[in-house]
Amino acid sequence: MENNIKINFENYLNKKNFSSSQKEIKEINFNNFIKNGFPNKRIEDWKFSDLKQIITTNFENIDFSKKEEQSNIDENFTFDLEHNKIVFINGIISKIDFSYEDEKKIIVEQNSNLEKELSENSLLNLNTAFVSNYTKILVKSGYQFKKPLILFNYLTNDLNNNGLNTRVDINLEDDTSLNIINISNENLNNNFLNFRQKINIGKNSILKNYSLDINKNSNFKYSFKDINLEKNSHLEYFILSKGSKFSKHDINCSLNNEYGSVVLNGIIDLNDERHHEIKTKINHNEENCKSYQLIKSVLNDNSKGVYQGKIYVDSKAQKTDGYQLSRALLLSDEVEFNAKPELEIYADDVKCSHGSTSGNIDENSIFYLMSRGLSYEQSKKLLTNGFLNEVIEKITNEDVKSLVKEFIGITE
Amino acid sequence: MLNIENLKAKIDNKEILKGLNLNIKPGEVHAIMGPNGSGKSTLSNILSGKKGYEVNGTVSFEGENLLELETEERAHKGIFLAFQYPLEIPGVNTNTFLKTSINAIKKARGEKELDAIEFLKLIKQKSLELKFDEKILSRQLNVGFSGGEKKKNEILQMSILDPKLSILDETDSGLDIDALRIVSEGVNSLRNNKKSFLIITHYQRLLDYIKPDFVHVLKNGQIIKSGDYELAKELEKVGYEDFN
Repeated sequence: MENNIKINFENYLNKKNFSSSQKEIKEINFNNFIKNGFPNKRIEDWKFSDLKQIITTNFENIDFSKKEEQSNIDENFTFDLEHNKIVFINGIISKIDFSYEDEKKIIVEQNSNLEKELSENSLLNLNTAFVSNYTKILVKSGYQFKKPLILFNYLTNDLNNNGLNTRVDINLEDDTSLNIINISNENLNNNFLNFRQKINIGKNSILKNYSLDINKNSNFKYSFKDINLEKNSHLEYFILSKGSKFSKHDINCSLNNEYGSVVLNGIIDLNDERHHEIKTKINHNEENCKSYQLIKSVLNDNSKGVYQGKIYVDSKAQKTDGYQLSRALLLSDEVEFNAKPELEIYADDVKCSHGSTSGNIDENSIFYLMSRGLSYEQSKKLLTNGFLNEVIEKITNEDVKSLVKEFIGITE
Repeated sequence: MLNIENLKAKIDNKEILKGLNLNIKPGEVHAIMGPNGSGKSTLSNILSGKKGYEVNGTVSFEGENLLELETEERAHKGIFLAFQYPLEIPGVNTNTFLKTSINAIKKARGEKELDAIEFLKLIKQKSLELKFDEKILSRQLNVGFSGGEKKKNEILQMSILDPKLSILDETDSGLDIDALRIVSEGVNSLRNNKKSFLIITHYQRLLDYIKPDFVHVLKNGQIIKSGDYELAKELEKVGYEDFN
């Protein structure tokens, strides 16, 4: 497979007219990817999700350079909330709609000029090698968005059995606020999607980022998010991990100045043979920062769920308050759940705790509900929804909260 | 209404009920008293269909073989068990649960399901009748409820679901005098010549508030004596140990 990707890459470089410096960045990254390949389970971060094996089993070939032309597709999605949107078709911006906002305060651009870097993560190397539509969103100092921004990723059928790399950077200057909803159409077949986002949250700014993977599909997805928080800024992050065949959501979040806070919550809700992982690393690099994480998983059929979470506390980061909890509900004997909660602490005046539980549904609770006339399935659904509700209730955007309830099937 | 003949039950190969007979007619209130381990809770679990017991004998409810029915079907037919320890169900709003429950029963009975407004009206009326603070219904089911609130919630459910036979499994345990009175008044207000009650208790105390028509003494998995309310008083005096 690597050989084919190599040929694709060479064709791709020839076809595109990159500057020599851009070409060099891409080549270096590509060579690094070829050297290390898709990550396998011998790499600690990929211990529970052997991507190399997953790719080899599911793809004969992946061409990452397949679709580069603008498509004239009328994407349609309807969500019952007022929103702004940027629509990407196969990674290329096709529509920008900021009708609720002051457009002078927002800059969106897309080009192919990447900065020089060489990550140890081979999937990021792959991303840099193949991304030619690099999107940057800038929110100017002092601007508070009035309505959420939906980043809608539409993938066309041309991509079936192939791959796509995308890169979006979001920069919130000081004193700004923004709610983002990330969604995809994704009811396509057998794509390998390598989504990368780099986010900077300026001083006194607030970002609420909701990533919703809802529709049942047979995609393989890796989402990497690199998030930096400045002084007194706040991040609310929520993941609904449900639809893809394989998904790994990898978040690296750094609290780089005092009084920053992160609330990171997630739901893994799987059936069939889906395999999803949420991996988080929260870096407390300065004093007086807070982080809170709650991940709940519900696994049915033959599905597999993974949570790997690390709280890192630098020696400078006194008065850190860190919390992390993973709870999983295993609804069949065939499911597998792996949790690796970790604390790495170098400061002495900190408050950090973590925990992980997994178990079956409580049959006494089922009996209680059935004695009130509910069927077994109804009782199970009510208990499962109740279990997930604790996470959903932490979503502070009420519109998104009701949307998520609808996706999970919770009625009030 | 309910006819139990020679009911035997085992759990983990241990025999708990050893041939129990009981007949309850419409409108009757029966009390079963017995010491710890006599099989009181086993009886209420078996009547409401809890799994895990090896059961022999016959139990018929309005002429139907009760033992063949699933737990939820028994609820649909009109059997209600007020739990000794009502379960806490985190994340589930009490109102949502009550609405799901009443509509599941109505649907099974071929009746029209309640819409949101009809449901709220019913809840309001029943809460008022039972002097139950309806604010509690917007909280998670039994989560953070005091012992008294949990039991009152059971009685409220009983009143809303309108069962034919209500089984109260040690509803008096853990209640203070005031809660006991409210719970008893709730039960008394539901009594009529069609509804029947089976009250399971350790103590005479509850029976002072809910005067039963019949009192049975359960010991070692059998009813060893039946009588009227006077039997409860006698039992309280003598104690289970020496009662024969």
